[in-house]
Amino acid sequence: MSVVAHLEEQRLDPQRELGELLALAGGDGAVVSFVGIARPESSGGQPVDELLLEHHPVLTLKSLQEIAVEAAERFDVSGIRVVHRCGRVWASEAIVFAGAASKHRRAAFEAADYLMDRLKTEAVFWKQETGVAGSGWIEPSDADYADRDRWG
Amino acid sequence: MKILFYGRLAESIGRELELQMAAGCSVAELRRKLELDFPEAGATLANRRSRACVGDALVHDDYVLRSGDTVGFLPPVSGG
Repeated sequence: MSVVAHLEEQRLDPQRELGELLALAGGDGAVVSFVGIARPESSGGQPVDELLLEHHPVLTLKSLQEIAVEAAERFDVSGIRVVHRCGRVWASEAIVFAGAASKHRRAAFEAADYLMDRLKTEAVFWKQETGVAGSGWIEPSDADYADRDRWG
Repeated sequence: MKILFYGRLAESIGRELELQMAAGCSVAELRRKLELDFPEAGATLANRRSRACVGDALVHDDYVLRSGDTVGFLPPVSGG
Protein backbone atom coordinates (compact mmCIF):
# COMPACT_ATOMS: atom_id res chain seq x y z
CA MET A 1 0.00 0.00 0.00
CA SER A 2 1.33 3.43 -0.93
CA VAL A 3 -0.37 6.62 0.20
CA VAL A 4 1.03 9.95 -0.98
CA ALA A 5 -0.40 13.37 -0.08
CA HIS A 6 1.60 16.35 -1.19
CA LEU A 7 1.18 20.13 -1.14
CA GLU A 8 2.72 21.66 -4.27
CA GLU A 9 3.81 25.28 -4.20
CA GLN A 10 5.02 25.43 -7.79
CA ARG A 11 3.65 23.84 -10.95
CA LEU A 12 1.55 20.69 -10.81
CA ASP A 13 2.28 18.45 -13.80
CA PRO A 14 -0.63 15.96 -14.15
CA GLN A 15 1.27 13.71 -16.55
CA ARG A 16 4.15 13.38 -14.14
CA GLU A 17 1.76 12.59 -11.29
CA LEU A 18 -0.04 9.96 -13.39
CA GLY A 19 3.35 8.47 -14.24
CA GLU A 20 4.18 8.21 -10.53
CA LEU A 21 0.86 6.50 -9.83
CA LEU A 22 1.28 4.07 -12.74
CA ALA A 23 4.77 3.23 -11.53
CA LEU A 24 3.54 2.37 -8.06
CA ALA A 25 0.55 0.43 -9.42
CA GLY A 26 2.94 -2.24 -10.64
CA GLY A 27 0.96 -5.28 -11.70
CA ASP A 28 -2.41 -3.94 -10.60
CA GLY A 29 -5.21 -3.87 -13.13
CA ALA A 30 -6.66 -0.40 -12.64
CA VAL A 31 -5.56 3.19 -12.25
CA VAL A 32 -8.11 6.03 -12.11
CA SER A 33 -7.08 9.66 -11.90
CA PHE A 34 -8.80 13.03 -11.73
CA VAL A 35 -7.25 16.39 -12.57
CA GLY A 36 -8.93 19.59 -11.40
CA ILE A 37 -8.17 22.65 -13.52
CA ALA A 38 -8.61 26.35 -12.71
CA ARG A 39 -11.58 27.56 -14.76
CA PRO A 40 -11.08 30.64 -16.95
CA GLU A 41 -14.47 31.98 -15.91
CA SER A 42 -16.43 32.35 -12.70
CA SER A 43 -19.77 30.68 -11.96
CA GLY A 44 -21.33 34.01 -12.97
CA GLY A 45 -19.61 33.90 -16.37
CA GLN A 46 -16.99 36.60 -15.65
CA PRO A 47 -13.45 36.02 -16.97
CA VAL A 48 -11.01 34.76 -14.32
CA ASP A 49 -7.26 35.30 -14.69
CA GLU A 50 -5.96 33.65 -11.56
CA LEU A 51 -6.93 31.69 -8.51
CA LEU A 52 -5.33 32.18 -5.10
CA LEU A 53 -5.25 29.04 -2.95
CA GLU A 54 -4.54 30.30 0.54
CA HIS A 55 -3.52 27.57 2.96
CA HIS A 56 -2.76 26.95 6.65
CA PRO A 57 0.90 26.17 7.48
CA VAL A 58 0.03 22.88 9.21
CA LEU A 59 -3.67 22.01 8.89
CA THR A 60 -3.73 22.02 5.10
CA LEU A 61 -1.23 19.20 4.58
CA LYS A 62 -2.75 17.36 7.54
CA SER A 63 -6.18 17.49 5.87
CA LEU A 64 -4.75 16.12 2.61
CA GLN A 65 -3.03 13.30 4.49
CA GLU A 66 -6.16 12.39 6.47
CA ILE A 67 -8.33 12.26 3.35
CA ALA A 68 -5.77 10.14 1.47
CA VAL A 69 -5.32 7.69 4.37
CA GLU A 70 -9.07 7.33 4.92
CA ALA A 71 -9.57 6.59 1.20
CA ALA A 72 -6.88 3.91 1.41
CA GLU A 73 -8.58 2.36 4.44
CA ARG A 74 -12.07 2.49 2.97
CA PHE A 75 -11.48 1.01 -0.49
CA ASP A 76 -9.64 -2.06 -1.73
CA VAL A 77 -6.82 -0.07 -3.30
CA SER A 78 -3.07 -0.54 -3.50
CA GLY A 79 -2.17 3.13 -3.95
CA ILE A 80 -3.52 6.63 -3.40
CA ARG A 81 -1.88 9.78 -4.72
CA VAL A 82 -3.12 13.29 -3.90
CA VAL A 83 -1.22 16.39 -5.00
CA HIS A 84 -2.77 19.80 -4.42
CA ARG A 85 -1.50 23.21 -5.47
CA CYS A 86 -1.30 26.17 -3.14
CA GLY A 87 -0.53 29.81 -3.86
CA ARG A 88 -1.33 31.52 -7.17
CA VAL A 89 -2.63 29.38 -10.02
CA TRP A 90 -3.29 30.81 -13.48
CA ALA A 91 -6.53 29.96 -15.24
CA SER A 92 -6.30 26.62 -17.09
CA GLU A 93 -3.49 25.34 -14.85
CA ALA A 94 -3.94 22.18 -12.79
CA ILE A 95 -5.06 22.64 -9.17
CA VAL A 96 -5.32 19.08 -7.98
CA PHE A 97 -4.41 15.52 -8.95
CA ALA A 98 -6.24 12.70 -7.19
CA GLY A 99 -5.62 9.10 -8.21
CA ALA A 100 -6.08 5.54 -7.03
CA ALA A 101 -4.64 2.20 -8.09
CA SER A 102 -6.31 -1.13 -7.42
CA LYS A 103 -6.60 -4.69 -8.69
CA HIS A 104 -10.06 -4.02 -10.13
CA ARG A 105 -11.56 -0.89 -11.63
CA ARG A 106 -14.56 -0.34 -9.31
CA ALA A 107 -12.48 0.33 -6.20
CA ALA A 108 -10.23 2.74 -8.10
CA PHE A 109 -13.20 4.69 -9.51
CA GLU A 110 -14.88 4.89 -6.12
CA ALA A 111 -11.71 5.91 -4.31
CA ALA A 112 -11.02 8.73 -6.80
CA ASP A 113 -14.63 9.93 -6.51
CA TYR A 114 -14.42 9.82 -2.70
CA LEU A 115 -11.11 11.69 -2.69
CA MET A 116 -12.53 14.55 -4.73
CA ASP A 117 -15.80 14.82 -2.78
CA ARG A 118 -13.82 15.17 0.44
CA LEU A 119 -11.13 17.44 -1.01
CA LYS A 120 -13.79 19.84 -2.34
CA THR A 121 -15.36 20.30 1.09
CA GLU A 122 -12.69 19.43 3.67
CA ALA A 123 -9.23 20.21 2.31
CA VAL A 124 -8.08 23.30 4.22
CA PHE A 125 -7.82 25.94 1.49
CA TRP A 126 -9.49 29.25 0.85
CA LYS A 127 -9.95 30.01 -2.82
CA GLN A 128 -10.14 33.51 -4.23
CA GLU A 129 -10.57 34.09 -7.94
CA THR A 130 -9.48 37.32 -9.61
CA GLY A 131 -10.35 38.75 -13.01
CA VAL A 132 -11.17 42.06 -14.68
CA ALA A 133 -14.42 42.27 -12.69
CA GLY A 134 -12.54 42.01 -9.37
CA SER A 135 -11.97 39.29 -6.77
CA GLY A 136 -14.30 36.90 -5.02
CA TRP A 137 -14.04 34.02 -2.56
CA ILE A 138 -15.31 30.62 -3.67
CA GLU A 139 -16.89 28.18 -1.24
CA PRO A 140 -18.36 24.72 -1.83
CA SER A 141 -21.90 24.64 -3.20
CA ASP A 142 -24.81 22.77 -1.59
CA ALA A 143 -24.27 20.11 -4.28
CA ASP A 144 -20.63 19.75 -3.18
CA TYR A 145 -21.70 19.20 0.44
CA ALA A 146 -24.40 16.73 -0.68
CA ASP A 147 -21.78 14.82 -2.74
CA ARG A 148 -19.53 14.62 0.31
CA ASP A 149 -22.43 13.43 2.52
CA ARG A 150 -23.04 10.43 0.24
CA TRP A 151 -20.06 8.77 1.87
CA GLY A 152 -21.37 9.08 5.44
CA MET B 1 -4.14 36.44 23.21
CA LYS B 2 -3.11 36.26 19.57
CA ILE B 3 -5.86 35.62 17.02
CA LEU B 4 -5.18 34.68 13.41
CA PHE B 5 -7.62 34.90 10.51
CA TYR B 6 -7.67 33.21 7.11
CA GLY B 7 -9.45 33.65 3.79
CA ARG B 8 -12.34 36.08 3.70
CA LEU B 9 -11.98 36.69 7.47
CA ALA B 10 -8.43 37.95 6.96
CA GLU B 11 -9.71 40.22 4.21
CA SER B 12 -12.32 41.85 6.47
CA ILE B 13 -10.57 41.79 9.87
CA GLY B 14 -6.85 41.51 9.06
CA ARG B 15 -4.42 38.63 9.38
CA GLU B 16 -3.68 39.00 13.06
CA LEU B 17 -5.20 40.58 16.14
CA GLU B 18 -4.04 40.87 19.76
CA LEU B 19 -6.91 40.80 22.24
CA GLN B 20 -7.24 40.68 26.04
CA MET B 21 -9.86 38.13 27.08
CA ALA B 22 -10.96 37.11 30.58
CA ALA B 23 -9.43 33.89 31.93
CA GLY B 24 -11.56 30.85 31.23
CA CYS B 25 -13.19 32.34 28.14
CA SER B 26 -14.40 29.79 25.60
CA VAL B 27 -13.97 29.81 21.83
CA ALA B 28 -17.72 30.53 21.55
CA GLU B 29 -17.38 33.63 23.76
CA LEU B 30 -14.40 34.87 21.78
CA ARG B 31 -16.33 34.27 18.55
CA ARG B 32 -19.30 36.31 19.84
CA LYS B 33 -17.02 39.19 20.85
CA LEU B 34 -15.45 39.19 17.40
CA GLU B 35 -18.92 39.16 15.80
CA LEU B 36 -19.76 42.33 17.77
CA ASP B 37 -16.42 44.03 17.12
CA PHE B 38 -16.39 43.17 13.40
CA PRO B 39 -20.03 43.05 12.22
CA GLU B 40 -18.91 42.87 8.58
CA ALA B 41 -17.36 39.47 9.39
CA GLY B 42 -20.25 38.37 11.63
CA ALA B 43 -21.99 36.11 9.12
CA THR B 44 -18.75 34.24 8.31
CA LEU B 45 -17.78 33.89 11.99
CA ALA B 46 -21.27 32.57 12.80
CA ASN B 47 -21.35 30.20 9.80
CA ARG B 48 -21.63 26.65 11.18
CA ARG B 49 -18.97 25.53 8.69
CA SER B 50 -16.40 28.00 10.04
CA ARG B 51 -13.95 26.37 12.44
CA ALA B 52 -11.49 27.45 15.11
CA CYS B 53 -8.06 26.08 15.91
CA VAL B 54 -5.72 26.52 18.84
CA GLY B 55 -2.14 26.13 17.80
CA ASP B 56 -2.39 23.57 15.03
CA ALA B 57 -5.37 21.62 16.38
CA LEU B 58 -9.02 22.15 15.45
CA VAL B 59 -11.16 22.80 18.54
CA HIS B 60 -14.87 22.98 19.32
CA ASP B 61 -16.76 26.04 20.57
CA ASP B 62 -16.66 24.87 24.19
CA TYR B 63 -12.85 24.77 24.26
CA VAL B 64 -11.60 26.92 27.16
CA LEU B 65 -8.81 29.27 26.14
CA ARG B 66 -5.65 30.00 28.09
CA SER B 67 -3.73 33.27 28.10
CA GLY B 68 -0.87 32.12 25.88
CA ASP B 69 -3.08 30.45 23.27
CA THR B 70 -2.93 31.40 19.61
CA VAL B 71 -6.41 31.01 18.18
CA GLY B 72 -7.14 30.73 14.46
CA PHE B 73 -10.53 31.31 12.85
CA LEU B 74 -11.02 29.40 9.61
CA PRO B 75 -13.88 30.29 7.28
CA PRO B 76 -15.50 27.43 5.30
CA VAL B 77 -12.76 25.58 3.43
CA SER B 78 -12.75 24.65 -0.24
CA GLY B 79 -10.24 22.49 -2.06
CA GLY B 80 -10.13 20.76 -5.41
